[in-house]
Amino acid sequence: MQLVEMREAIRQAIDEEMQRDPTVFVMGEEVAEYNGAYKVTKGMLEKWGEERIIDTPIAELGFAGLAVGAAMTGLRPIVEFMSFNFSFVAIDQIVSNAIKMHYMSGGRFSVPIVFRGPNGAAAQVSSQHSHCVEALYGNLPGLIILAPSNPYDAKGLLKSAIRNNNPVLFLECELSYNDKMQIPTEEYLVPIGKARVAREGKHVTLVSHSRMVQLCNLAAEELAKRGITVELIDLRSVKPLDIATIAASVKKTHRCVLVEEGHLFAGICAEVGFQIIEHCFDDLDAPLARVCQRETPMPYSKTLEKQTMPTKERIIAAIEHVLA
Amino acid sequence: MKKHTPVKYNFYPSDPAEVILKLGKETLLQQLKKMLLIRNFEIRAEAAYLQGKIGGFFHSYMGQEAVQTASVCAMGVEQWWSTTYRCHALALLLGATPNELLAELFGKEAGNAKGRGGSMHFFTERLLGGFGIVGGQIPIGTGAAFTINYLKSVAALKGHKNCDVSICFMGDGAVAQGAFHESLNLASLWDLPCMYVIENNTWGMGTHVDRAICVAPIAEMKAPSFGMQSYTFDGMDFFNCYAGFKHAFEEMKRSSRPVLIEVVVERFRGHSISDPALYRSKDELTSCMARDPLIIMFKNLERAGMLTEEQYHAMDKEQKDVVMAAVKFADESPWPDPVTLEEDVFAP
Repeated sequence: MQLVEMREAIRQAIDEEMQRDPTVFVMGEEVAEYNGAYKVTKGMLEKWGEERIIDTPIAELGFAGLAVGAAMTGLRPIVEFMSFNFSFVAIDQIVSNAIKMHYMSGGRFSVPIVFRGPNGAAAQVSSQHSHCVEALYGNLPGLIILAPSNPYDAKGLLKSAIRNNNPVLFLECELSYNDKMQIPTEEYLVPIGKARVAREGKHVTLVSHSRMVQLCNLAAEELAKRGITVELIDLRSVKPLDIATIAASVKKTHRCVLVEEGHLFAGICAEVGFQIIEHCFDDLDAPLARVCQRETPMPYSKTLEKQTMPTKERIIAAIEHVLA
Repeated sequence: MKKHTPVKYNFYPSDPAEVILKLGKETLLQQLKKMLLIRNFEIRAEAAYLQGKIGGFFHSYMGQEAVQTASVCAMGVEQWWSTTYRCHALALLLGATPNELLAELFGKEAGNAKGRGGSMHFFTERLLGGFGIVGGQIPIGTGAAFTINYLKSVAALKGHKNCDVSICFMGDGAVAQGAFHESLNLASLWDLPCMYVIENNTWGMGTHVDRAICVAPIAEMKAPSFGMQSYTFDGMDFFNCYAGFKHAFEEMKRSSRPVLIEVVVERFRGHSISDPALYRSKDELTSCMARDPLIIMFKNLERAGMLTEEQYHAMDKEQKDVVMAAVKFADESPWPDPVTLEEDVFAP
């Protein structure tokens, strides 16, 4: 085993896949000479050279689209967005070209590409740098969306993503890059489309993904002291969604709370919650509840930022509500 | 209707006699035959559209045949190619059959993209698409040029099957898109062998290029700001297009630099089939159709003693028959099986 930070787990995944397949390369703003805005690609330029670790100008539409074209013609690009908010500049290339190409071309062209980078809020970066993109992109068939909550899953899932022949959004968190965890030294993969039962319990199911899983865990620990056991499901793959694992848990606990960092309206909780109703309506002993970011753009002030985001307290209150 | 200022172009200098001598009778007749195939394809497909056999958007390449025919003749099929939604001709030129393309237009199972793409999204092994968003193919074509360089520069991939250049067609309207600027900047910055070809047919749907693009000629004015070489061709003249494409292609093979080409051309139809083109006067249309690329090519070949008027009509008839048979094939082909609806959303 080895103790690694999240950023190192991600770096190892990229490094191992670059070793395995010479068509894999990294492209993005500040990924090479600057060693990555969040140091995920630290040292990689020196190891792999400028042919495979490629600094781009600030032109997300241009380089994301270029990478889609490279993927269509035989390469396997890993595109780093310094923040997933910047993916909006490139959205036509992601939506109209990367996501639709395989189907639209009758299966002639595939687009094996990973778009990765930090998603969601950091610390007081205000409205234009804090968006959670998974619900926006989740509406589109043809895209895989991964959102790991810990270094083990991040490494294994990213390796699977790089080997996959479809476009993948790989969502990281700026606030999680320092998270440390013991992970295997030997190679491993985490399969796409498989949720993880992060914590077993019998009173209520709690469903979340990405950094919010940690918040859910804190809430569960606190409730455990009061004799309430929470079954925590970490989605890992937002899409494809592992509804089987979620449904199995809800059928056991009969109650469910959903948590996401993104906004409430048409969010991931809305989708997962509806699928729970479709699969488990007769098993539910209480209406579903959700804890999401409130319907405001992200405010700058520390106090307001905390108010709009899900908190441990709000999660506990929601659980108490469905258990009442 | 507003009177438009004529643009002073510096056309690539070429001599039809030289091209005729260089290509020879057999190749030239083949090229004319391809242009006739494209023309007949567009005429018959348009008729099928009007009969309700084809749906959606439909953009005719009629009038622009010489451009892409000359480009494929000059550079060969085995490059990377990308183009706009006006993509019927390029697919035919790169080897897609009239049968599969008409079946696609009819939305049939045997279609080029299994009935999923339609008129705007044709593909071949070397054609990355017909792209439906104006300018959306420009980063894609640039990416194909990136792949060409990557395969040459990464040691572990040396000897991998590769080609020389990526050719990316766009209309004059696409020049106003950010994708144009970002792609050309990247291509020049990284020495990517991408040939950007603006087919300037004067109209971005119903908006005259004068009202959309701030400079003219486009390529001659824009290319220097990207540190690129530019060329302007007469798109109604196969010989000028061929000579120009050949020259630019050989130049790119030496320099591995991108180039920007503007081809001045006329589309004989509206932007799409549903556009009656009321913005263009009858006189304007008649004068542009007087320079029909097929007639210009035929007259040159006739003068060179390679083809009589009778033979030309026979060739036209032969291509018409090919297309009519393809229309029949498409009409009689089965619809896609609904059970296949959800197949191929993801690649295996």
